[in-house]
Amino acid sequence: MIFPRPVRAVSAGVAALALATILAACGGAETAKQADGGVPVTGGTLVYLEQQAHTNLYPPSGGFYPNGGILNQITDKLTFQDPETLKIEPWLAESWTSNPELTQYTFKLRSGVTFSDGTPVDAAAVARNFDTYGLGNKALNQPVSEVINNYDHSEVVDPLTVRFHFKKSSPGFLQGTATIGSGIVSISTLDRKFDELGDARNIIGSGPFTVASEVLGKELVLEARKDYNWGPATAKHQGRAYLDTVKIVVTPEDSVRTGSLLAGQGDLIRQVQAYDEKQVEGQNFTIHAPGTRGVNDSIVFRPDNALVSDVRVRQALLKATDTHEVVDTIFSENYPVATSVLAKDAQGYVDLSDKLRHDQDKAKQLLDEAGWKVGADGIRTKDGAQLSLTIYESLPQPQNKAVLQLVAQQWQKVGVKLNVLAGDSGSKTVDSLDPEETPVSVAMVGRADPDVIKSQFYPKNRDALLQLGGSSQKVKRFVDERLNALLEAETARTDPQQRLKDVADIQNHLIDQALVIPIFEEPQVFASAPYLHGLSFEAVGRPSLYGVWLNKG
Amino acid sequence: MQRYLLNRIGQAVLVLWAAFTIAFVLLQALPGDALLIKYQNPDMGLSPAEIADIRNSYGADTPLFLQYLNSLAGFLTGNLGYSVQAGVPVVDQLAANVPSTLALAGLGFLAAVILATAIAFLASLAPFAWLRNAIESLPSLLVSVPVFWLGIVLIQVFSFRLKLIPVINPPEALGLILPVATLAVPISAPLAQVLIRSIDDVRTQPFVAVARSRGGSNAWVLSHHVARNAVLPALTIAGVLLGELIGGAVVTETVFGRNGVGQLTQQAVNNQDAAVLQAVVVLAAAAFVLVNLAVDLLYPVLDPRLKQKTGALT
Repeated sequence: MIFPRPVRAVSAGVAALALATILAACGGAETAKQADGGVPVTGGTLVYLEQQAHTNLYPPSGGFYPNGGILNQITDKLTFQDPETLKIEPWLAESWTSNPELTQYTFKLRSGVTFSDGTPVDAAAVARNFDTYGLGNKALNQPVSEVINNYDHSEVVDPLTVRFHFKKSSPGFLQGTATIGSGIVSISTLDRKFDELGDARNIIGSGPFTVASEVLGKELVLEARKDYNWGPATAKHQGRAYLDTVKIVVTPEDSVRTGSLLAGQGDLIRQVQAYDEKQVEGQNFTIHAPGTRGVNDSIVFRPDNALVSDVRVRQALLKATDTHEVVDTIFSENYPVATSVLAKDAQGYVDLSDKLRHDQDKAKQLLDEAGWKVGADGIRTKDGAQLSLTIYESLPQPQNKAVLQLVAQQWQKVGVKLNVLAGDSGSKTVDSLDPEETPVSVAMVGRADPDVIKSQFYPKNRDALLQLGGSSQKVKRFVDERLNALLEAETARTDPQQRLKDVADIQNHLIDQALVIPIFEEPQVFASAPYLHGLSFEAVGRPSLYGVWLNKG
Repeated sequence: MQRYLLNRIGQAVLVLWAAFTIAFVLLQALPGDALLIKYQNPDMGLSPAEIADIRNSYGADTPLFLQYLNSLAGFLTGNLGYSVQAGVPVVDQLAANVPSTLALAGLGFLAAVILATAIAFLASLAPFAWLRNAIESLPSLLVSVPVFWLGIVLIQVFSFRLKLIPVINPPEALGLILPVATLAVPISAPLAQVLIRSIDDVRTQPFVAVARSRGGSNAWVLSHHVARNAVLPALTIAGVLLGELIGGAVVTETVFGRNGVGQLTQQAVNNQDAAVLQAVVVLAAAAFVLVNLAVDLLYPVLDPRLKQKTGALT
């Protein structure tokens, strides 16, 4: 007697399913119309398919692309960086000044700007934001932002004027105020523990969109703020966003994401694999591949490991790597071959393609000189040790497994074995911190400021090379004093020309010492439907949906 | 009966505690932990000192036994802890995912039962030997269809080509059709196989010959006399299939981008989100206990002879 009711409920459900199918079939499919541009249309819902769910929306955690893709819609910044010219322009700050030593920056704020909870975006709120980003907040577990260097304290001069003080010159700070990591949020958001900022609904910004609802790990709905009227001063579009709603749906499976776009179920998708690009463009959809202007997708060495501590070995592996073959085989023209540690459109880039030229014979010669002799199985050995290296696949990097396997084949030709491991996150994280386990690793980071190179290699930041005193306790010896001195000098220069020269020296040093093998300039690849207009990207490839409008006609 | 139930409840509590403890021990034995995985990620740009502070505030480096007691006490009071990766309480995550999985797994199982019954009946009633053989070999075919592939094919055909069912933001009921079908196919195969075999067995029983001699048609005898008796072994298998149901749900949820316990578990495993895994393991153990209890209680309803046996035990 317990069963009839559920059974009835279920059969009703089945009937409803059947009915729904029929109704859907009658509804007919939407047809995508050819774009004609024209006058922007206000209203409508944009369906944006993301590959991964966001993790934490504390603005300095915006480096993870799914996080940045959300933060860029719900927060504004003090300044706006033109993605073409990289010039810094007014946004929430109308104007700014700095002292010649670059240890003080004063910002004059625009008036009338409010957070979506109604509180004003004033000097006090902005000061609290940068105190948190510059110093962190131990009590709430909020970490320091990697884009702010040498921060000391803030000073509220008047309700709309705020001044920031630095311990030493901080030339990257102005650009830092334009990055995702410096999105301005309300005091109520900063009062929450770092943990609680995983819930998007807790992020109160002053951006053109607000978070309306969230299904954890699955879907996020953003709504346009009707009273928004403080876009970047130079933006073509002013006033509220054209769209009413943005639905961000997590769609992990590549083929489903691309297929949904082509079938008219989504309007914009992030992460299109290079092998799908032709199909997408073939159906008149648009591929967008903004560059990330930072440190290229690279293989980095951990010289603390004896196998790669000899510069000749590293030099040989650099020469053995044929990046043109990698890009031609696996990628499309949206993935330029790397010609330096930095991407071509990064500030301070110098062309080092001569030093990076593929040369198998030179590679063999260098390995011979270093005393590595080819053994019976074709792998080089020295003092009983095999030149066999282990690397973990990096999931966020596009087709990284294929890239590493191809590189492994190239290295095999000069007698070096490269084991490519997939590995669970736990082993990968633990092993990646241990130069003995992983003498080589994959690294990449984007930011449109010369400081990006410090972020990547400085031991107190990302520490890609694993130096003594950096992120790993396992490192025994390796320190590159010269590199660290150059990095410290670069982030504290007051003369912009001198700073760019430092960045050039750093790139030369990294390649001369063969600490890095740059492979390609990593873009963010998006695809959009033909009726979508006005999509733009900030300087390192996060989408801005503010000016987007749909003409489904 | 009462003692029987009490016994079963005692067993269930023991199973749940064991599952909790084993999960805790195994999770501790893995290299790394959720905090390491989340905060060592270079994209977070944290310094070692900051990471140490965060670990401290989570109590990550307190003695293991204390951590065990803490989290056990938490479970007993309904506090399932905090998901390090998602930054929300585990209870919230379960609330967001369990209903969706229940709907998927429940309907998937129901569809599998219907499909299996249909296959078994058709096989039994098939008028020609070749047709019977063909139908009987269906389960072997179905069991070897990879769930992942089936999901993609269904999406390609019904969603992208025929445009009948959207994968993105479908209405709830409509959105269940393809995932349910994907999940049901591999589950139905072992059920159908057992059902076919046991129908064959029951058919050789004397009471079937009696029913037949009274002039019952093939279909009538099957539905009125054989089916009820043949269903018991299939029911036993059904209880065991729960595990497969969970496994299938992981893949189905990933392919269709549905939220649910399956994809929650997969992500938690990836990130070693111990609190989430701990909760999922206990939840899965509870589901197993409940389903098996339900199956045991169903036996006497279907077969009165078993009722007397349970009666004798009490």
